[in-house]
Amino acid sequence: MAMVMHSMKQNKNVYKALIAAEYVGVEIKMVDNFEMFVSNNTPEFLKMNPIGKIPVLETPDGAIFESNAIARYVAHGSFLLGTSKFEYGQIEQWIDFSSFEIDTNLRGWFVPRLGYGTYIKPVEENCIAGVKRGLDALNTYLATHTFLVGDGVTLADIIMTCNLVLGFKLVMPKSFTSEYPHVERYFWTMVNQPNFSKVIGKVMQTEATIPLASAKKPDAKPQAEPKTKEETPKPTPEATEEEAPKPKAKNPLDLLPPSKMVLDDWKRLYSNTKSNFREVAIKGFWDMFDPEGYSLWFCNYKYNDENTVSFVTMNKVGGFLQRMDLARKYAFGKMLIIGNEPPFKVKGLWLFRGQEIPKFVMDECYDMELYEWTKVDLSDEAQKERVNQMIEDHEPFEGEALLDAKCFK
Amino acid sequence: MALIMHVGKPNKNALKVLIAAAYVGVEVKCTENFEMGVSNKTPDFLKMNPLGKVPVLETPDGVIFESNAIARYVARLKTDTCLFGSSPIEYGQIEQWIDFASLEIDLNLLAWLRLRLGLDNYVSLIEEASIAALKRALSALNTYLATHTFLVGDGVTLADIIMICNLYAGFRIMMTKTFTSEFPNVERYFWAMINQPNFSKIIGELKQTEVVPPIPTSH
Repeated sequence: MAMVMHSMKQNKNVYKALIAAEYVGVEIKMVDNFEMFVSNNTPEFLKMNPIGKIPVLETPDGAIFESNAIARYVAHGSFLLGTSKFEYGQIEQWIDFSSFEIDTNLRGWFVPRLGYGTYIKPVEENCIAGVKRGLDALNTYLATHTFLVGDGVTLADIIMTCNLVLGFKLVMPKSFTSEYPHVERYFWTMVNQPNFSKVIGKVMQTEATIPLASAKKPDAKPQAEPKTKEETPKPTPEATEEEAPKPKAKNPLDLLPPSKMVLDDWKRLYSNTKSNFREVAIKGFWDMFDPEGYSLWFCNYKYNDENTVSFVTMNKVGGFLQRMDLARKYAFGKMLIIGNEPPFKVKGLWLFRGQEIPKFVMDECYDMELYEWTKVDLSDEAQKERVNQMIEDHEPFEGEALLDAKCFK
Repeated sequence: MALIMHVGKPNKNALKVLIAAAYVGVEVKCTENFEMGVSNKTPDFLKMNPLGKVPVLETPDGVIFESNAIARYVARLKTDTCLFGSSPIEYGQIEQWIDFASLEIDLNLLAWLRLRLGLDNYVSLIEEASIAALKRALSALNTYLATHTFLVGDGVTLADIIMICNLYAGFRIMMTKTFTSEFPNVERYFWAMINQPNFSKIIGELKQTEVVPPIPTSH
């Protein structure tokens, strides 16, 4: 019986079912070419899971979603679900405990730090308190138990361990977990069991709680003062560090024939123009624009129906602009978040060096493929006017209010 | 076989267990004189559930906590039950909807409820996110229920019992008709289930709230 798991393989929720499968001796194949946000948005996928989340297990008899349910299905009828009704009840108790008390709170702690949600300090504090309360109760229990239920590994241990993995890897250093020595003993024993380690691989406990995603962001707003040289001298101090393996391969865009347009001049004009924006900045843009050396592009987010929460949508766009940092020397962009109420539409305007969207940008910035890209037709006055309106944050934009406008410069 | 459930006035989590027990024909007695905040902090209680939460089920073989786990245990006591479906895939799909009911519906509904009832400090960003996630889940459920009467198979399973109990607090306190009318299939499903004899004899009469509780003015 061939069972197929739809997800990327390195996902702690997938580990649960894969480890269970090792114990009961069934085969689960991973689906080929899974692409996050793409593969799980197709009509076929949504028929399997109407909420579009991963993982999903496809079986000859039908599909199952929710990682704990998938693991239970795989374990059904085996010792992993206990050898008596009472053991079964306790296994379920610990599975639910690991989800609601441990996993929910750990996720609330590390997800915003990874940049996938807004960081709100009191919320994080609540989550950490929840983690501590859960680990404290678990620690008390494990003082007198080797396994969660009975005398061997059950599905409760598999799911509990998988739910702890990202906690140990991302947010709980030894200084945190040493307060729960029985949990530590339990965790390391479990991840070193052969059926666990062949799925999860080696687990390294983090040395410190990961920082907030924005703490790593380089200064994204070089303001008016730094004159011409702010990009070029950056490699120099780094070159004096021992490794200096920064990608020093020549960027193909540097090999283009020189252009009369100086991107920094435009960025400076954009930033410094405080009044009469249309007459000064927009006119200045078209005066300096070199259609042979540069190209203009409209982008349109493909999944606007996801944009149901204002600050999450704004974060998503903010994250995109952070990831575009590698293109700063060669690009200028405006991203507009449009609408009075959800779903919000995300549309953008980009100026790139060269006649194409630079390949290194498409390769390195994964957000690019979440948008539809069309080159601006400079002979079409309506399109040029749209360019103007996007540069100046014109409201209403295409009949709607702007929730936010972000600039990449 | 006497099963004793430690809980105060039966909350929606206790209802899951009682309805499941009604379907399989097992008796579950609720403790009398249980005082929330007192009875669940005694050393004896904490030996049963180190986290001190309710409900907790005392069985002749030992204790089980976590309401979904208790409900599953009760449902398994009779082997001729159909609460777990009649094939492995039905079992898997029942579990899938139980988890969905908890992680997609209950989690978000309770987060919203706790803000409005002043149990958590009100932060509008959190409320916005919770409502959006709840709507996403109800929308997915609504799509599914357009072509299904019961969550799995052709009769009530444990998935329906847990889903309805998780929606119950929503209909009673947080979700007005204006809110739920966006999800007409969920409405149809909810009222059909609530009116099943084994549900209505435990839950009693239910009126959908006409207003959302206001934002608390002070903490």
